Amino acid sequence: MTDTLSYPDVTQWAVPFFIVAILGELAWIAVKGRGGRYETRDAVTSLVMGAGSVASGILLGFIAWTFFMWLWALTPMNLGTSVVAIIVCFVLDDLRYYWVHRFGHRIRWVWASHVNHHSSQHYNLTTALRQTWTGTFSLVMLIRAPLVLIGFHPALVLFVSGINLIYQFWIHTEAIGKMPRWFEAVMNTPSHHRVHHGRNARYLDCNYAGVFIIWDKMFGTFVPEQDSEAVDYGLVHNLGSFNPLRVAFHEWVGIWTDASQPGLTLRQRLAYMLAPPGYSHDGSRDTSQTLKEKHLARHPEDDGTPGFN
Amino acid sequence: MPLEILLALVAGGISITALILHLTGRSARTVMSDEQARDAWLRQFPEDTVGQILTAQDGHAALLQTSQGMGLVWAFGADTVARPLQGCKLRDVPTGLRVNFSEFAAPSTRLTLSETERTDWRLLMNTA
Repeated sequence: MTDTLSYPDVTQWAVPFFIVAILGELAWIAVKGRGGRYETRDAVTSLVMGAGSVASGILLGFIAWTFFMWLWALTPMNLGTSVVAIIVCFVLDDLRYYWVHRFGHRIRWVWASHVNHHSSQHYNLTTALRQTWTGTFSLVMLIRAPLVLIGFHPALVLFVSGINLIYQFWIHTEAIGKMPRWFEAVMNTPSHHRVHHGRNARYLDCNYAGVFIIWDKMFGTFVPEQDSEAVDYGLVHNLGSFNPLRVAFHEWVGIWTDASQPGLTLRQRLAYMLAPPGYSHDGSRDTSQTLKEKHLARHPEDDGTPGFN
Repeated sequence: MPLEILLALVAGGISITALILHLTGRSARTVMSDEQARDAWLRQFPEDTVGQILTAQDGHAALLQTSQGMGLVWAFGADTVARPLQGCKLRDVPTGLRVNFSEFAAPSTRLTLSETERTDWRLLMNTA
């Protein structure tokens, strides 16, 4: 069984394209006077987060790689590297991404790593690069294990994951309205992903897709962008700092602060780590579910509309 | 990709983007009216009711009397952040007041206030 397979690190090779695309989007906004907003410190924070994420991958990537190669040595399966194998791996990895992303919004331990991606109040191509520094600690690498165990080489799995990430870059824009209907039906698009970045009660916890929006439609988490309700970007409680260290680690600090309070039961401490974001032992905070319930109490006319089903 | 080329690309890309954004006026902080300050608070705390609003002369911050006590909205780049003032600590700085929150994600903000404003704001904020 080969263990010397290698593919290019596509996310690193895409860096020049990212820079050109960001400058292109900025020029488009400046010329057209529409299609998004940029702010200096917000954009710089996003770009520094992106650079830190690449650095984190270089420094800590060996942990996941060692784990995957250990699994690869265990499995008797090898599906090879044919074009069909690459396509099947890409589709299955996108399904993997959907669930990782969904867990990332529903389990605070994973949210602590993912939250920084949602921490900008802007939505432009730099937001796409506002990536985690702490993905290794969230342990979501475990969810890639089945792909390796059924016979996809770890190098292939990481290669298709990189392509998946690059696909998601261009959908972080307000400069594109809607794509052709067939494309919107199957693929994740700027419109679908804008909804995912919304802090509006209607748009919380939906559209987890990476490349194919069909997963959200299959698993009941799809919410279409509404002409009647503009997306309000950012977090339910927006950050008051552009400091990348605070952006990267604030939720981890929050977990520690909450779970180490005196007088809690073990179950409550675990819930502060693993329950959905917004959990509190005394009910003093809101989860996405209670935010939606409170919104409906104020706006009963929204009951049954997309995002409030 | 060789590490030195990657580093040069990243550093160059960030610098160029920051420079262009700054030179095209995208570093300006938002300026609020009373109504915009109210909207900014309700955007963060939609269940609250907002009473009196005192907006700073420079429009970069506002004090609000809300159903959960005194609150502060301040300019955060082109956007805003809102926080209740309960438990915050105030410190005089030459240009106004520094407000320290006991929160890792929003540690502090610096308010630019005139001498008269600072006295009034300190009085109101101390009631929080």
